[in-house]
Amino acid sequence: MAHRWGMAVDLDRCTGCEACVVACRAENNIPTVGEEQAQKGRAIHWIRIERYYEGEFPDVRVKFQPVLCQQCDNAPCEPVCPTYASYHTDEGLNGQVYNRCIGTRYCANACPYTVRFFNFFNPAWDKPLHLQLNPDVSLRQVGLMEKCTFCVQRIKSAEIRAKEEKRDLRDGEPEPACVQSCPPRALVFGDVNDPESELSRMARSRRDIKLLGELGTQPKVTYLQRNEWNDNNT
Amino acid sequence: MERRDFLKVSVLTGATAALSGCEKPAHKLVRFIPEEDLVPGVATWKPSVCTLCPAGCGLMVQVLQGEAEVVRNGKRGTIQMGLAKKLEGNPNHPVNQGKLCARGHAGLQITYHPDRIGSPLKRSGPQGSGTFQPATWEESLSEVVSRLRELQSENRPESLRFLSGCLRGQRHELVRKFLSAFGAPPAMVFDPLDEPVLRQANLLSFGQAAMPSFDLAHTSYVISFGADFLGTWNSPVAQSVAYGEMRQGRPGSRGKFIQVEQRMSQTGASADEWIAACPGTEGVLALGLSHVILKEKLRTPADNTATRLIAGWSQGLQDYSPEQVERKTAVPAQRIERLAREMAANVPAVAIIGGSPLANTNGLFSALAVNALNTLLESVGTPGGLFFTPQPPLENPGSLAGESDFASVLLGGKLDGTRVLLLHNANPVFATPAVWKVRDTLDKIPFIVSFGSFVDETSQLADLILPDHSPLESWLHDVPNSGTNQAVVSLATPVMLPLHETRAMPDTLLGIAHQLGGEVAKALPWGNFQEMLQASMAPLRTTEVIPPAPDPEKFWGKVQAQGGWWSDKVRRPAGPAIPHGHVVTEFVPPQFDGEESSFPFHFQPYVSQAFLDGSLAHLPWMQEMPDVLSTVMWGTWVEINPKTARKLGIEQDDLVEVRSQHGRLSVPVLVSPGIAFDVVAMPMGQGHENFGRYASGRGANPMAILAPMQVAETGSLAWAATRVQVSKVGKAKLALFSGGLFERPSELQHR
Repeated sequence: MAHRWGMAVDLDRCTGCEACVVACRAENNIPTVGEEQAQKGRAIHWIRIERYYEGEFPDVRVKFQPVLCQQCDNAPCEPVCPTYASYHTDEGLNGQVYNRCIGTRYCANACPYTVRFFNFFNPAWDKPLHLQLNPDVSLRQVGLMEKCTFCVQRIKSAEIRAKEEKRDLRDGEPEPACVQSCPPRALVFGDVNDPESELSRMARSRRDIKLLGELGTQPKVTYLQRNEWNDNNT
Repeated sequence: MERRDFLKVSVLTGATAALSGCEKPAHKLVRFIPEEDLVPGVATWKPSVCTLCPAGCGLMVQVLQGEAEVVRNGKRGTIQMGLAKKLEGNPNHPVNQGKLCARGHAGLQITYHPDRIGSPLKRSGPQGSGTFQPATWEESLSEVVSRLRELQSENRPESLRFLSGCLRGQRHELVRKFLSAFGAPPAMVFDPLDEPVLRQANLLSFGQAAMPSFDLAHTSYVISFGADFLGTWNSPVAQSVAYGEMRQGRPGSRGKFIQVEQRMSQTGASADEWIAACPGTEGVLALGLSHVILKEKLRTPADNTATRLIAGWSQGLQDYSPEQVERKTAVPAQRIERLAREMAANVPAVAIIGGSPLANTNGLFSALAVNALNTLLESVGTPGGLFFTPQPPLENPGSLAGESDFASVLLGGKLDGTRVLLLHNANPVFATPAVWKVRDTLDKIPFIVSFGSFVDETSQLADLILPDHSPLESWLHDVPNSGTNQAVVSLATPVMLPLHETRAMPDTLLGIAHQLGGEVAKALPWGNFQEMLQASMAPLRTTEVIPPAPDPEKFWGKVQAQGGWWSDKVRRPAGPAIPHGHVVTEFVPPQFDGEESSFPFHFQPYVSQAFLDGSLAHLPWMQEMPDVLSTVMWGTWVEINPKTARKLGIEQDDLVEVRSQHGRLSVPVLVSPGIAFDVVAMPMGQGHENFGRYASGRGANPMAILAPMQVAETGSLAWAATRVQVSKVGKAKLALFSGGLFERPSELQHR
């Protein structure tokens, strides 16, 4: 059976450390835009950590929630694209073909998760910072939309390696950069189609929720809610 | 000699036959022969060590072939070389176990930073002006040597001083040997992330002047007094890995976590209960908990050095009844009783202290109180408790202990008379209170040599800058102080050739020693740092090692391939405590600078998630990383409680003046529910005057307005002991990542 990639995020493990955010930037050649453009809301982060305050001092609590492209099975971003730049891959990813994108930004308007980002200018790196760029990931020019790819380049290279060694992919073998770096192991990546995968096991938790699931987007990212102390774990 | 070796030698010695052979005046772009046979597009992964904070995590560096413009012998050319592309955690390293924090990832940008110093610089303007001109290595080194010879001939070797940031392993050993053979005093250490108060407390309580490690993965109950242990404190990656296991790694058992602090940190945000005790009373709360446990006989009363240090322990801590503790800490008595019972019933339980409680004038008392609580909980040296990272079986692992603290040297006036100062990896002009006048003191030193890679507030005072390689271009050696229950010696080879005409600081120092000759050269017989490392690692071959190695060459190869040496798991028990006479500690109310009537707020600077103490503010990835609680990018802010802000007529995005008795700052306001009414807090790290294009002139530096308050017993800076007043002066705009995003927590409830 074909793979269908998904992710589980255990909010009880997440500490809000931002390791995923910077790992993603390093892996995917995400440009920095500077203070002025950041103030205009043009900073690009394929994964971000949302935080929600609850209560007032001294009874304050905070919840962290990493948010990235949910790789929806019923993705609002796909049907609105006039050039088929947003499309569904065989492995269930919401692909983004940069060569087809003409920057209508319909997909960004349609996405309820605000995880799609527009390139307002050509990316630039002060030399020699350009030497840090990852040759496995193409740069995005002005006028293109971009978003989380589940590190498709890392999935592909794991698949190629497995094929060379004439074996199946092992569970947990392809790992997006965010998952690889996550210190408390809050992020888990795997095959939704494999009922034995760590991911599928986590998705069966009774703590599971889908972000904005009521919209019918069928996200492939499952969140496991934070426990209270007396809940113990599940 | 193989071609590869020849080219290595040619690069290192400057015998660049390859370059001069190809060069024609008409062709400025010169191509070198590829240094390594890398396959284009195929990544190799090489172990390295993260040097950005004292945790000392192991790295794996992705290296890919690329074309880089480099400088050799003053000539620019493009070569094909292996380039570091990405940093990940080393999965075999006992500290971080394959994981890496946000800052560690951004360490890559140090190597490729556009403002890195690429060649020796010599001061060209007046002293302290920060204007430099390029110089050659030969003239620079001979100038240093002649200055040092002057000191020798005048028989004043003690007027050479060495000032360093966190310095460990063989780098430390090299500096120590150099200084002692020269006759100079030991290196002064300036590391704002160090916790000298806690190390002193651990020495008194447990006989170990070390940072503690915690077995969080196996604990059931954690109470942390101010320690940002999931963010920036001690060994944050190791602690976060274990924290994940504590929460969800053991089916049927989820550990509870309590955080005590006045301003909600990233760590506090993950707590099950968040408690704001009054500043400087954390130790009282710890003893209040102990009082209940002792009184209700919930645990066997402990009696050892850690508890004997606390006044009234054997009488059951009568001064710390819940009611008395409530009056001092503002934590309700009932809550103290409930927490104490919970804690005692849910062992293993462990208490942690770090950050602002240790930076009050009574910090040592608070640390000793928490140590005693740990003893009562029987969590010292037991599974799920507190322990000390074993040190490798080397004669001198090269730890910080025994070095002199920069602050005490400075404030004791012992820097007067210094003729030559060597400066390595420290920026005290930025990260100390302005009233300490570090700059004025350094201005009086006739000759300052910096090994820095960047011009910053301190290295701009140098007369000569001899730039170090970046960590990825260097031989690295480190002995982690905490974060693991294995003895670890991290060792790494350079993962790439140097981009610039820089030299590794240890090699520069060895070169100077050899030119000086005499005792100094005799003490440092190695031709380069690599030889010294190889010699230092040799004794480990015959001790327990993973994997075992039969002969020295194979051992050396395996250590390099693995990224270091580590022992089998051994937990070091708490050692014998040093005799402490009859001195016992009791609560002394914390002292604060400034009258409450005119300076109504406690001012709490805190270590920044992105920049630590400010040493990473020059990295654009860190500047554009949204701070997780405020979501601010590229800026700095002061946090104020919403009620306090309303009372002062202040709103989000107002510009306020924060004023202490010792200075003032203008800074935008961030209204935040996670802070006490009488506290304002500010992240460290911004406010650099001179630290590269991304950091200079950005934000404000909270350290600048601190009062010169000291922790009574250790003399270290009590950076949480300043009071301030706050008044609105105008408008400002913060770059917030959360602006314009949907934030509807109710959505979380839907399935």
